[in-house]
Amino acid sequence: MSIDWITVTAQIANFLVLVWLLKRFLYRPILGGIDAREAEISNRMQDAVTARDKAEAIEETYRDKVQALHVAQAEMTETIRQKAEQQRDVLLADAHAQMAVEQANWQAYLDGETRKYTAKMHGAGAGALLSLTRKALIDLADETLEAQMIRHLIQKIKPLAPKLNNASVQTATAVVTSHAALTDAVQNAVRSELQTEFPKVSVRFNTEALQAPGLVLRLDGVQVAWTVDTYIDGLEAMIADQLAKGPEMRAQSNGT
Amino acid sequence: MNLTPDQIIIFEVWGLPINATLVFTWVVMALLVAASMVITRNLRPDVPPNRWRTMLEVIVQGIQAQIEEIADGPSRHLLYFAGTLFLFVAVSNLLLVVPGFEPPTSSLSTTTALAICVLIAVPMFGVSSRGLGGYLKTYLEPTFIMLPFNIISEFSRGISLAIRLYGNIMSGAVIAAILLTVAPFFFPVVMDVLGLLTGMIQAYIFAILATVYIAGATAPSPQSSTEKDIQQ
Repeated sequence: MSIDWITVTAQIANFLVLVWLLKRFLYRPILGGIDAREAEISNRMQDAVTARDKAEAIEETYRDKVQALHVAQAEMTETIRQKAEQQRDVLLADAHAQMAVEQANWQAYLDGETRKYTAKMHGAGAGALLSLTRKALIDLADETLEAQMIRHLIQKIKPLAPKLNNASVQTATAVVTSHAALTDAVQNAVRSELQTEFPKVSVRFNTEALQAPGLVLRLDGVQVAWTVDTYIDGLEAMIADQLAKGPEMRAQSNGT
Repeated sequence: MNLTPDQIIIFEVWGLPINATLVFTWVVMALLVAASMVITRNLRPDVPPNRWRTMLEVIVQGIQAQIEEIADGPSRHLLYFAGTLFLFVAVSNLLLVVPGFEPPTSSLSTTTALAICVLIAVPMFGVSSRGLGGYLKTYLEPTFIMLPFNIISEFSRGISLAIRLYGNIMSGAVIAAILLTVAPFFFPVVMDVLGLLTGMIQAYIFAILATVYIAGATAPSPQSSTEKDIQQ
């Protein structure tokens, strides 16, 4: 065991050279690579942090926009709802008004139709009543209706006789008004019956289209009448009652 | 039987004998430098490292971590020095298993040279860290009476470094050679495996001790640090 100092010197030189070589080819590249990679990772992390911050800012902006949109949507919805309610109220009011008008029109139409029907029935009923009454009188009593009517009028005017039996009435003109012109025979019969009670009264016959069938006697401000209206009124009441019952009866028949 | 490769003369250059210690040292140097050059070429930070580069990074960072544990903070120059010590000794000892290879560390000249390098490096690091006066002052601590003992301690550390490494590696090689004659197959294999373990441990011990010595020279003394604390 000995120390070769030449070898020692050479080994010191070798070691120093090795230190320089490894510093040049090992430590610096490796440590530099590690530092560069750490810097790269740090940069990427910084980029990621920046990107995340940016994304969070964008997300925050987006959330604000969404919140603003929700608020605007709620306000718009409320406005639209209020407008819709107002419009609905207006439309309902219009509809109600239109319905009321149509109902009034329909009611007026129905009333008109009812009046027309009633008038038609009135006329038909009056005609039928007169015909039947006239026929019944002829068949049963061989009497004309007009004679019987004037006789009835005379009976009605008799209670007024004390007032009428004065000089002016005796010389007055009795006006007999009918719906249609009376035949001469009927006029003679009426005149005969009237002059039986009031001998000096002259008789004049008039026709009045608007008057109901029958006779109206006017004598010195006193008027008595027999028309079919009083009879026909009962018939009209019966027809109106039937018309009113019509929808209920139809409903009952549909239900059954 | 040669106890040291210094006695094996490979060739001569201008009358100077080139022994096996130098030749195998150059082989180790060539291996280390070539491997470093091959592995560390075309390094790009954006490309993930391959397994070889990762291995080198693990080794270098392991050495750096050991140094940071011992010394007061990271030091690139200490890494270059102690890392080279460790790699050179470790590779030399690992190549013990290669037939015909004589580890340079089994030469007392090599271990002496490495110990001298440590002996020189300790004051150099100390002076660069504390200044010349500050470093020389450490020889007078705790009292000037300790000056001769500190100087003896300094040299004895170098001698112990050199003898320890040389003795362990040389003894391993000698024991393996002796056992080869006694039991030609089984025991040499076991002893070589044990020699690998011993070689790695010796490399670690050598580098760590060198680092400790240098760190001791560069670290602020307890007295001066106490004075700084009081001044603050």
